[in-house]
Amino acid sequence: MKRKILAALLASTMVLSLVGCGGGSDAPAADNGAAATEEAPAAEEAPAADSGAAEEAPAADAAAGGSTLTVWCWDPAFNSNAMYEAEKVYQKDHPDFKLNVVETPWEDIQTKVTTAATSGDLSTLPDIFLMQDNAFQKNVISFPDVCADLTNSGIDFSQFAAGKTAYSVVDGKNYGVPFDNGAVVACYRTDILEQAGLTIDDFTDITFDQYLENGKKVLEATGKPLISMQAGECDLLMMMMQSAGASLFNEDGTANIVGNDTLKVVLETYKSLKDAGVLVEVNSWDEYISSMVSGDVAGTINGCWIMASIQTAEDQKGNWALTNMPSLVGAANATNYSNNGGSSWAVTTNCKDQALATDFLASTFAGSTELYDNILPSGALATWAPAGDSDAYATPNEFFGGDAVSAKIVDFSTKVPSNITGVYYYEARDAVAVALTNYINGADIDTELKTAEDTVNFNMGG
Amino acid sequence: MYVFLIIVSFISVFPLYWMVSAATNKSAEVISGRLIPGTYFAENLKNLLANQNVGGAFVNSVKYSVILTLVSLVVSSLAGYGFEIYHDKVKDAVMSVILLAMMVPFVATMIPLFQMFSTAGWLNTTIGFILPTISTPFLIMMFRQSARSFPHDIMEAARIDGLSEIRIFFQMFIPTMRSTYAAAMTITFMNAWNSYLWPKVIMTDATSQTMPMVVANLTQGYVTDYGMLMLAVLICTLPTAIVFFCLQNAFAEGITGAVK
Repeated sequence: MKRKILAALLASTMVLSLVGCGGGSDAPAADNGAAATEEAPAAEEAPAADSGAAEEAPAADAAAGGSTLTVWCWDPAFNSNAMYEAEKVYQKDHPDFKLNVVETPWEDIQTKVTTAATSGDLSTLPDIFLMQDNAFQKNVISFPDVCADLTNSGIDFSQFAAGKTAYSVVDGKNYGVPFDNGAVVACYRTDILEQAGLTIDDFTDITFDQYLENGKKVLEATGKPLISMQAGECDLLMMMMQSAGASLFNEDGTANIVGNDTLKVVLETYKSLKDAGVLVEVNSWDEYISSMVSGDVAGTINGCWIMASIQTAEDQKGNWALTNMPSLVGAANATNYSNNGGSSWAVTTNCKDQALATDFLASTFAGSTELYDNILPSGALATWAPAGDSDAYATPNEFFGGDAVSAKIVDFSTKVPSNITGVYYYEARDAVAVALTNYINGADIDTELKTAEDTVNFNMGG
Repeated sequence: MYVFLIIVSFISVFPLYWMVSAATNKSAEVISGRLIPGTYFAENLKNLLANQNVGGAFVNSVKYSVILTLVSLVVSSLAGYGFEIYHDKVKDAVMSVILLAMMVPFVATMIPLFQMFSTAGWLNTTIGFILPTISTPFLIMMFRQSARSFPHDIMEAARIDGLSEIRIFFQMFIPTMRSTYAAAMTITFMNAWNSYLWPKVIMTDATSQTMPMVVANLTQGYVTDYGMLMLAVLICTLPTAIVFFCLQNAFAEGITGAVK
């Protein structure tokens, strides 16, 4: 008898622990499929419920004595600063307006949004939060009831760079107000290039073939590679891909890895740079930054935000120059322009005063050259076209040899081809990064791409 | 023999040294690998205080950690004591269920927990921070193991002298098990102080941030100020280091389960 009880107990504990484990593995699956469809009707109801609440909310807010918006973003020197500046601009016409900026790292914003959306309790979300562009479509598709549709909110999206706005558009609807510019720039140490008899003009509007040739000259003359990249990361691959308007996904969301000619060209180009010693791989992000500022490499190619890190090396003032990136050889639609990183503002459905939130964004990030002029010194470059025409953007930058780099970058950003990120962007990136590492070490390119596509398909659950 | 030990101890102490020296250098100097202490400490401190609400976060961390440590020591030790001293078949079975619960990862229970806590209105509160980890299987097991070495004869004697069960626990068990308490206190305090995921999920207010969150905030920018970051890490490490060094001897005894 005792044994039976014991057996029953053991069995029940095992079942319990299995349920526990099951819960764990179920959650991600729920994210992509079931929950998305189940939550869709809820999403349709949510705005209705919200608008009801919204009608009451302003009254309550007004009674409380002000209109305050809560914002989540992550960089005090950069995007939090931009929000505070936006608050000042908006306060000129709306003296009662206040912002409550809660500094929250991006990974944590993602965790909180996932937790809130999966548990169905959106009340913990702020009014506005900043979202990485690469994760935007994923979040809107997976959690359709989190972000408010801004298409008809009065914000003029046509004034933003098209490639940038595309990150936050799902099914033709705008869900985000573009913020910082991630246009790709190529920065070079002119003093190092000089030793090889080259100038910045030899690197402007070039192809990767010419880049490789120039790189060999620099390596021969100075012993320094042209560029460093973090091993096992595929930032450069993604920039190359987008420069030709190519993506790892098709329009319908299926993986586009096997038989993607541009991807193959990209991998081959990367390997030839690496094999020639023109590109050197380093182990960590810190090492990557350090290799640039300590002069171990002659330059880099990255999103324009990298300039902030480069400019910490005050002793190299005037020795840097900036131009566009090389274009791919053998890829259709190859250009010298791409994008890496950047983020956009999203308004949540939890926002009680949608009208205030959208009016705030419309009259600041989508309507104030003054704001963009004020945040320019912090390195925040606009993707909002009218900002690029202001005088502040034409000011020469002494660090980069007196070039008007800001205006140049805004110009670059208008030429960036758009691409498709979709729900599984990060998974596909990781799979391609593995393929790259194996390919560099001598594996067959087609086999590796097949494995990468299988991995992505497995992640997508089919 | 000693050469090996010297090398190993150098390797384990070096990161600590680098943390301290980096806190006194400029970010650019840290990146370039400067190892000697610099003169930038005051500047780093000024930047850090201007940049983050360190004072508030420190007070929060101390408050949450101390309350959690005290409450969880009482709860877990009572449970561990009960499981051992009054043990029978059923309680043993319950104990094994508790131990099995150790295997369920926290992320699996996080979302239901969040739902419960948000319904109860415990977001951004101390109780929200401490409740999920108020009793951990590990601590209960630790106290159960140490209660096993608690001499039954003394208990019998105390009972005959008319001491109530609860007073036996408070007046005899706790003083005897000081070293176990010290070890448990160190472990709980460190876990509480360093806990990140759960507080991050439920503490949505800027005013309820804790020290590890402040450190995480500093690594987020396009440009990381390493000098300032290391100073924040240093401030964040000090309390756990102090607790550990104060209770060091007792900790070693408690872990090995010795009773004097």
